[in-house]
This record gives sequence, C-alpha cells and structure tokens, in this order.
Amino acid sequence: MMKTLSADESKTLYALLKSEQSPIHEIAADFNSKFPRARHFLACSSLVLLLQDKKLLHSTQRMVAFAVLHQTYASQKSSANPFINFIINTASDDEGEKYERAFILQLLGSDGSSSGKEFLKQSVADYIQGFDPSVHSFPQCEQLQQQYCDKIHPEPYNCLFKDGSVKSVVPDPDVPSGCDANSIEFDLQPGAKPKLGSGDREETVIGLLRNLSLEGLGPQWIRPLPPRLPVQEGELVWLNPDDNHELLWDYGMCVDTSRGAAVRDLIAKALKGPLVPPQQEQVVVELVNDPKLVYHCGLTPRKLPELVENNPLIAVEVLTKLIHSPEINEYFTVLVNMDMSLHSMEVVNRLTTTVELPSEFIRIYITNCISSCENIKDKYMQNRLVRLVCVFLQSLIRNNIINVKDLFIEVQAFCIEFSRIREAAALFRLLKSLE
Amino acid sequence: MDARDSLSPSTVASSAASVTATAAAAAAAAASAAVTVSPNRDGSSGGAEDDAVLSAVAALAKDAALHFQSSKFADCVEVLNQLLLKKQDDPKVIHNIAIAEYFRDGCSDPRKLLEVLNNVKRSEVLACASGEQVEAVSNLGNKVISGSKGSSAANSASIVYTDEFDTSVAILNIAVIWFHLHEYAKALSVLGPLYQNIEPIDETTALHICLLLLEVALACHDASKSADALIYVERAFGVSCMSQVDNGSMAQQQSANLVAKSSSFPSSSLATVASDLASSVIASENPLTRTLSDDALEYETMLSKLDIGGQNAVRPAGLSSSNDLSRTPVDRSFTTVDLKLKLQLYKVRFLLLTRNLKQAKREVKHVMNIARGKDSCTALLLKSQIEYARGNHRKAIKLLVASNNRTDMAISSIFNNNLGCIYYQLGKYHTSSIFFSKALTDTSSLRKDKPLKLSTFAQDNSLHIIYNCGLQYLACGKPILAARCFQKASLVFYNWPLLWLRLAECCLMALEKGLVKTSRPLSERSEVRVHVVGEGKWRQLVTEDGISRNGLVDSVEMDDHMLSNDGQPKLSMPLARQCLYNALHLLNCSESTHSNPDLPSSEENESSEVASSKNSNHKNLNSIESKAFSVTVGIGQVNANGDAREPKGGTSQELIQNSLAHYEGIRRKENQLIKQAVLANLAYVELELENPMKALSTARSLLELPECSRIYVFLGHVYAAEALCLLNKPKEAAEHLSIYLSGGNNFELPFSQEDCEQLRVERTIDSEELTGGLVTAKNSSPDDSQGIVFLSPEEARAALYANFAAASAMQGELEQAYNFATLALSILPNSPEATLTSIYVDLMLGKSREALAKLKQCSRVRFLTSGITVNKSS
Repeated sequence: MMKTLSADESKTLYALLKSEQSPIHEIAADFNSKFPRARHFLACSSLVLLLQDKKLLHSTQRMVAFAVLHQTYASQKSSANPFINFIINTASDDEGEKYERAFILQLLGSDGSSSGKEFLKQSVADYIQGFDPSVHSFPQCEQLQQQYCDKIHPEPYNCLFKDGSVKSVVPDPDVPSGCDANSIEFDLQPGAKPKLGSGDREETVIGLLRNLSLEGLGPQWIRPLPPRLPVQEGELVWLNPDDNHELLWDYGMCVDTSRGAAVRDLIAKALKGPLVPPQQEQVVVELVNDPKLVYHCGLTPRKLPELVENNPLIAVEVLTKLIHSPEINEYFTVLVNMDMSLHSMEVVNRLTTTVELPSEFIRIYITNCISSCENIKDKYMQNRLVRLVCVFLQSLIRNNIINVKDLFIEVQAFCIEFSRIREAAALFRLLKSLE
Repeated sequence: MDARDSLSPSTVASSAASVTATAAAAAAAAASAAVTVSPNRDGSSGGAEDDAVLSAVAALAKDAALHFQSSKFADCVEVLNQLLLKKQDDPKVIHNIAIAEYFRDGCSDPRKLLEVLNNVKRSEVLACASGEQVEAVSNLGNKVISGSKGSSAANSASIVYTDEFDTSVAILNIAVIWFHLHEYAKALSVLGPLYQNIEPIDETTALHICLLLLEVALACHDASKSADALIYVERAFGVSCMSQVDNGSMAQQQSANLVAKSSSFPSSSLATVASDLASSVIASENPLTRTLSDDALEYETMLSKLDIGGQNAVRPAGLSSSNDLSRTPVDRSFTTVDLKLKLQLYKVRFLLLTRNLKQAKREVKHVMNIARGKDSCTALLLKSQIEYARGNHRKAIKLLVASNNRTDMAISSIFNNNLGCIYYQLGKYHTSSIFFSKALTDTSSLRKDKPLKLSTFAQDNSLHIIYNCGLQYLACGKPILAARCFQKASLVFYNWPLLWLRLAECCLMALEKGLVKTSRPLSERSEVRVHVVGEGKWRQLVTEDGISRNGLVDSVEMDDHMLSNDGQPKLSMPLARQCLYNALHLLNCSESTHSNPDLPSSEENESSEVASSKNSNHKNLNSIESKAFSVTVGIGQVNANGDAREPKGGTSQELIQNSLAHYEGIRRKENQLIKQAVLANLAYVELELENPMKALSTARSLLELPECSRIYVFLGHVYAAEALCLLNKPKEAAEHLSIYLSGGNNFELPFSQEDCEQLRVERTIDSEELTGGLVTAKNSSPDDSQGIVFLSPEEARAALYANFAAASAMQGELEQAYNFATLALSILPNSPEATLTSIYVDLMLGKSREALAKLKQCSRVRFLTSGITVNKSS
C-alpha cells in the first residue's frame, strides 16, 4: 500500500477542503465515498500536518478539515478518534480564532441528538456568517480532555523511529532577499502576471498532500550490506573423468544352489551331537576353501548354543570366520546369554585368544560365570566350577585380554567368598600383585 | 563350486563344463538331504528328472553369459527368454534380461531399467520372506537381538542366510544407474546397506561395490566415507600401495582418538543381556551339573588347558589373521595392476579432497610409476589440479594442456571447465566465462552422440559447470544470470549450504542494483531525496525519510510465489530469507552429525525436501561409518601392543586417517565461516523485511558463534542495535555500539585491514616454487579482485558514530546525537544517513534554518519537483 496520497487523491482531498458551501454532513459523506476506509487515516494525517502550519489553509478550509477529522471517526467514541488530542489542543488554544474554536467545540458536542444533526446541516460558510462570539464559552484543555478522552490515548505506532520523527516539511520561501515572505504581495493574483517570488498557495497545498508521508523524518541508521563471501577453496568445481562403472551381469543366475550342501548337512548334524574327527576335519577344510561358505552353512544365532554344546571346536571355527559379519554381535549376545557350561567357557576362552572380543562382552561373560558359581547348590559341583572360573580368569588376566581394573571389586569379592579353594587364593594373589 | 567367483570371460568359458558337472552331482546330494536343507526354488520337485532340467538350464545360462560378454545383446535376450520359460519368475533371469535389453536398446532409458531392477529387488526380498526367513523372523522376535539394529538386522538376515536370493548385484546396478544420473545421494543410500553387509558378498561384486562407493563418496565430497572405503579396499583386497609416509605429528594421537570411539558393540544389546542375566543363571544349573560331574576327563583337560594357556600368551599363529580382512583374490575383472592404479588414483583424489596437497603430490608420482606410460590423461589432470590447489596457476595450465585430448568431447569439456576455474582464480572472469561456456557446448554435443552409453549421462557434467558459471556471473555483478545458474545447479548441489548462500547473495546484489521489484536500488538510497513543493513564497521542502524507503521492499503477499511465470527465480528478500534458512539448516545438520556434508534423500523419497528425508537416511550413514571403526579397532590394538603386524598397510591407513582428521578440522572452520556469512546476511534480510525481532535473534546468534571474524562481529552489533532501536529499546541499542567506545567520545576501529584479508581464502601455497614461482604466483594471483567488497575500517567507524548518533537522538539526547553526527560527517561528509540525522536533530531543536542550510550544502541531496500540475480552471 502506498504511504503517500496519490496525485488524484491529493486533488480530491483539496477539492473537499474548498467545498465551504456544502453542508458538513455532505462533506463527510463525500469523504467517506471518495476515500476507501484504509486510506482514511493517511488522508486525515495529511490534513493534520497541513493544519499544523497555520498559514497554509484558509479559515474555511481549516474548518472543513476539522470537520472531516472529526466526522470520519464520529461513529466511534470520541476517545477512539486518533486525532482527538490534536482537535482538543486546537480547541483550547487561546491564540486560535474564536470561530474556529467554537466550531470545533460544536463538532465535539454533536452527538446523535436533533440539535447536533441540525448543526451538521449547515455549511461552513453559513456557520461563519451566523457566528456570534458572545454565546460561546471556551473550556480549559483539561476539562475537554476529561470529557472526550477517557484515558490517555495510546500512540498509534509502537515504532520509536516513527514516534520520534519530526515533521519533515521545512518552509523555504523563495523571495527576493530583504522582502518579507509573509507579505501578501507575493500571493499569486488571478489574472496578474506572476512576479519574482510569487507562488500559488493551492499548488503548494496539493503538492504537500501528495508528498507528506505518514512518518515524517527520523534519525537515520547506516545498515551496511554484508560482504559477499569470497569463493571458498574447492568451491569452483574442478572436473575429473569418472571411472567407468558399468552395469554388472548377475552370474549367480541359475547357478547350482546346493553350494556347500555337505557342510550344511554336517552343521545340521553338529547341532544334534558331536561330529567324529573326520567330519570335523571336513567342515574346517571346506570353510577354509570357500570363505563365503560360512555365511551359507545354515547356522543362525539361535542355533549357536546347540553347536557350542555339541561341537565347541566347530563353533569356534565358525565364529572366527564370522568375525566380520554384521551379525557377529548377535552371535556374541547369544553366547553370553547361554547356559554356563564347560563348553561355552571353552569356546569363549578360545575366542579370546584368536579374535578381538568386545570388552563389554567379556565383562558380562565373567559376571555370568561368577554368579553361576554363587548360585550353584551342590558343594562339590560348586568347587569344581569355581576352580575352573579362577583358572579361566587367571588366563584372561595373564594374556592381557581383560583389564583387571574394570572387574577388580567383583573378582576380589569372588575370591574372598571362595577363599577356601586353592585356585581362588591364587587368583587373589595375582590380583594383589597387579595392584 | 567357484562358479560365482570366476567371472573373467576366459575362465567362465573354460570352467563352464566342469561347473555343469559339479552342479549335477551337488544337486543329487542336495536332493538326498532335502529334508534338512532349506527349500530352494526347485526344491518342490526332487528326483532324477531334475538333473536333466538343471543341466539344460545351466547350459542356457552359460550361453547367455557368453553372448553378454561378446556384446551380442539381442541374442543374449533371446536365450534369456528361453531360460525364463524354464525358470518362471526367476528374479535373476529377469534381472539379466533387463540389463541385456537395456544395452540392446542403446541405453536409452535408464529410468525404465531402474524400475525393473527395483521390482527385482522387491520380489527377491519377498521370496526371502516366504522362504528361509521364517528362521530370521523368529530370531527377530527373540529378545536377544539388540534393539538398536532394528530394520538393518532384518535386512542383513536376508543377505546372510539366503544364498539363492542374493540381491547384491541388482542393488549394485541400481546404485550404478543413480551414480550415472548424478544422483549421488540416492546412490549412496543404496550402497550403504550393501557395504555394511559386504562380508558375505562374493569378491567381484564386493569390489565393485567398494569402488562405486569410493567414487560416489568422493563426488559428494564426503571425506570420511571415502576414507573408510579406501582403507577397506586396500586391506580387503590386498592391494595396499607401498608409499613412504612421513609420519605427521598428528599421527599418533589421531589413531588413539579413533580407537576411543570405536567400540562397535551396541550398548543397548548389553542392557538386555544384563537384564536377562539373572534368569539365565538360575536356569543354568542343570547342564552345569552335568558337564561338571559327568565329563570328569573333559573337565580336567579344560582345567589344565586353561592353566597352560595362562603361561603362554601367544595366540595360535594360524588364527591370528582375524583382524586381517583380506579376501582371497580369486580372479577378477581387473588385473592387479589395474586395480592398484585405480586405487592410487582414488587415493590422490581423496588427498586432494582433504587438501593434503603434499601427500597428493607424492602419491600422484606413484600413479605414474604404476601406469608406466599407459593413458596418463587422468593422472595429468590430477597433477594439474594439485598445482591449481596450490595456487601455481601457470604450472596448472601447462599440465592441463599436456593432458588435453581434443578428440574426446568428454575430456574436452573437462579441460575447458578446469581452465575456466584457473582463470577465475586469476581474476580473469571474462576469460573464464569463455571457457565455461565452451565446456557447456562440449557437453551438449556429447549428449547428441549416438549410440548412447550409460556413461554418457555420467560424462554430462553440465550442472557442475553451470555452478561455476554462476560464481563467475556473481563475480561480474550479474545477479539474475547467476541466480539462474545456481537454480539449475541446485539439482545436484541442493545439499550444499554454499549454494543457498550464493543464491541469497544474488538477491542481495539484485537489491543493491535495484533489480528487486518495488524497491529502489540501494545506490539511490545513498542520497537524500528532497521534494520541492510550491514556488516562491509558498515554497516548501519535504525531506524523504529513509525508513519509508527501506521498508516494504517487497510486499509480503508475494511470499508464496518466488518463481515468476517462466519458472525463473524472482529475486527478492523473501527468497533470500528462504535460501538462507536452507543453508542454515544444512549447516546445522552437518554440525550435528559429522563435519561432512551429509546427503539427505533416500531412494523412496524423490523430492528434495531436505528436512524430511534427512532422518531416514541417517541410519545408513551411520552404518557405513561403522566399518571404518571396526577396522580401526584392529589397528589401534596393534599400535597399543607395539606389535607392528602390518607396518606398510598401517602407514597408508594412517595417512588416510590423518588427512581425514586434518580435513575435518578445515571443514569445521569453513562451515563456521559460512555460518557467519549466512547469519549476517539473514539479519540484514530480516531488517529489510521489517522483522526486527527475527533480525535481533539472528544477529545475537551471529555474535554467539565461536571464533567469529571481527567483521561479522561488527555487523552483528550494528544489526542488533538497529533491530533494538526498531523495537523501541534505544538504550540497549546504544549498548551494542558502545562496546567499541573507548574513552569518552571516541570509537575505535571495529576491525582492521588484516581482518578483511583474513576473510579471503587461505590458500595453501607451498614452498616449492619459492625462488620465483611463488612471487609470480602471488603477483598474478588476483588478491584485489578476490577480496571482499566492504566498508573500510574507517568507514565502519563512521557508521558507528552515525548509528550512535541515531540511537542517542532516539533517547532524546539531542546534544550527544548532534556531536556524534558531526563526527560521523567529519569522516564521511557525504553520508546521507549522518546528514539526515543531524538535520533531524536541528528540526527537533527547532533550528529549521540550520537544517535548511545543511540540506543545501550536502552533495548527496537530490531535489525533486513535486510533479503535480494544478488545473487552474477547476
């Protein structure tokens, strides 16, 4: 939306100001019909700016302007009129013309009553003609404020730049030096030849209406444009020829799918019971011959416990081969969770010496071992298991496979609990020597 | 048995007969064991007549492969169709038919092929689900499986367990097509899961996967993924190139770092383990009792074995290779030398990407040694690129010219583009524009080439060249043309924060030049406009307010259509804001993951909605990362033990890891700088759009950035102060400015000339041409033209004075405002802002005469007639 009046709007507004013979309510209606609601405020603000300079408008024009200012917002409470402060100030300005002040007071007083309606039927010219200064009293500013503003009217804008702005119009009379710029000799006389320094008031008023912006002039801020970021290293695209990545033929098409059937068969057997040495040999050899076979031998994490129980060596072989498989962690998880047994311990022990096991895995396995020892009811069995676990732990510690510090308290407590067993005492001494 | 692995044409031919024989034998064996073996596709019909069918099928498959190898695609399709009659709906047959038909039809429709391949992939997955997957599914239900792996576990299961439903080739081919179409993000998202499950995949396919991953990762400037793939290929395929590496200082700490983060054991699974522990322990008594009591002998053996093991720490030699990823090199489609050469070239490209120019220079020499006079074009181009990166532009041109093979259009376009880059860096933008447009002409003539090859698409680098054009237009001050280029290039570069910043810069430049609709050019704003109204006695001067001109640059309703009717970007402030938000989002994403430019978008998600697709891809990215780490575990351990098991391979790996770490540092710095620029631009744009709140918060986040350049700190303060003023807080505004106040009424220089220099690219010019080459390089280097266009430190100080004056005036301290405005005018006598502020103060003080005098003195005032004629007769 434009922030100043257009040329046409300026002319229309000025024409309204000149209609001193029309009844006030007609002027108001005219204004309403010629300016859309959204432009009311702008037009009225421009009028206020013109009214602030007492010389610019003729007295009848000023009164029409006030009528417009008031009537445009007359449908609301007077305190809602954005220009009420200006109107009241003019009405209570002792230096102002009496008829103008009286006119404003009557405007302010014109409610829906019949006398009010009567007043609005007059034209401005009629009003001046019938003006009798003696009937009017002029109340003080405070009294008017009390009457017409319920509260201090908030400023229409919250923006300080605009609030703090000043009227940006500066009179710059262009008259020969030494002459009084206020003299009427420089007013353009109809028909007379324009002389140096003369000017047309009407043209100025319309020009001002056209150019006055709502905001006036405020302090200015320097807003530097941010610099363009210099071209970054590697930003310009340097081209290299690509490698030629061609589409591949799938040679797996219709290829015998029974690859490794023998091994698959053997693994299936190995889940049910121990394999005889030649069979074990065969599995190991075939797995070595075809490194991919391990992924196709039919073993899954779920089946691992059976394999461990029945053929720990095969289990070690398979797990070692699967060490880079994305599923290896699932196998480990199964292993750590399966029932504690001689064979599972053997598998774990062998794995610790062949591959890097995640330290978390070993830690949990040891915890598992220790609690198995504690939970066993049969004393004989317990002794045997404790001995085994102690030897296992010593082996892990000596081989630097576990960091003693991680498990120190747990293992120490275990040693003390079973200190009656020779191997536990030995483990305890080993722990102490490492301290 | 090795049929899957023996892929080179000659071996396939010779071994084909034996394959058929073994296949038949094995099938018989399989049939006898059919009860226990999982059902395969023809498992339903067991029996002897199967043998005949099987051998016939195998013969046809062999035939088809031979036709394919000798490029007789029509014959190949024919044979395949016969095969399809025997093996209906076999996904692999359908796959090969699609490939053969694609070649037969002249590679005209890669999208159609893509569709078929995706169907193949899907149908194979479905087949899996109905078959052996029962096992895997029941497994998934089991608590034991870690939650963290989620869907990838299901995915891997299909690859691990199902021999006959191996989809890797089809998936690889999908990635190949995406790669050739420059859809790197999509290619990467397809390759990620494959790479993660690479172990079970046969050697040839695995090698192709790795090489393609390398290529794509390099194309995406993704250093960490390229490093990972490079290390993996070197180790797994045993072609680690010997190279002397001088151990940089960062070598040791770096590997230590990597080890620290390298635990690949998912912690969440451990939690479940722990919680399950109690139950399993209680249940564990019975078997234990059994083993402990019954197998007394076994128990003693175990006990003694452990005891002996305790004394003997050495691991069995035969098994010590567990860290060794090496794959048995069966014959491949490459010779070892070929592969070595390829890898060496990739390594050089990787080192170039990570700006390790010294090492790149060394490694490129090895390329020459390995190649021994073979086609050296690629190597020369890389050498030229190294010199270009080092700022030795003359040498770069020489090498480039030496590499040029004008008969090849693809090479010619590369040559012209690269020459354009060099001339750009020399500041000769017009020359560079000639070369860029030549390069574009070459690519367009390439497209007309018949017959089409898939690689034709890949060789069409026009979008990359167009990005370069955009930069060149921007440098020449042509924002609209530049924006057009960047918009086109966004098809490839949409996940580059820089692209979006450049597009925003186009908008700002357009604003500056008055090309943004409904706004006046900034140049016009740098003058005071005074309307002269009326004549003579009635003459009045109406001074225009700067603010009302700044405001409403674009009406906000236009927000929705940033493209004009012809689909070109309409340069505007809202567009600039949108672009900057994109850049910011991308920068934040790369911060939150690693410092590499992550690639959003997944296969399904074809739209380039950066935000939404980001997450879906995240998993894949991580999974790719993990391979590098599992590799590093081994290395780290080796180093810790002081056991140099693989000294040479290790150094190559260290070199790669060091470069990566170094590059990530550079990258972080660069992203920080880009972020500063983005935030500064954004704050400016928000001010232009009259959003002081957003401008303020943006300026504040700019000021909070660590290691912010002093220039951007200055801008942050100035923008924040203006925003605060607009928000009615002149006091806080003044505080932002008074940071620069030193004693009383003096502002210090907010930044120095060196700060301006620093913003320029820090080029790694090394010392080789020190004796004279460096000097010439320096002289010819376009430092002045590459420099930033910005206020001088002194002008910046004047801006501080002027703005402080404005802030003072707002607070009603007119005296102080007057003084500072005067100081500002003493440095910048023609500053319209300072002039207007001091006129404002005069008017506020009622000194309209002084105001008039100032208006008339200032050289930047433009007097305008009111332009209204009054019709006298009316």
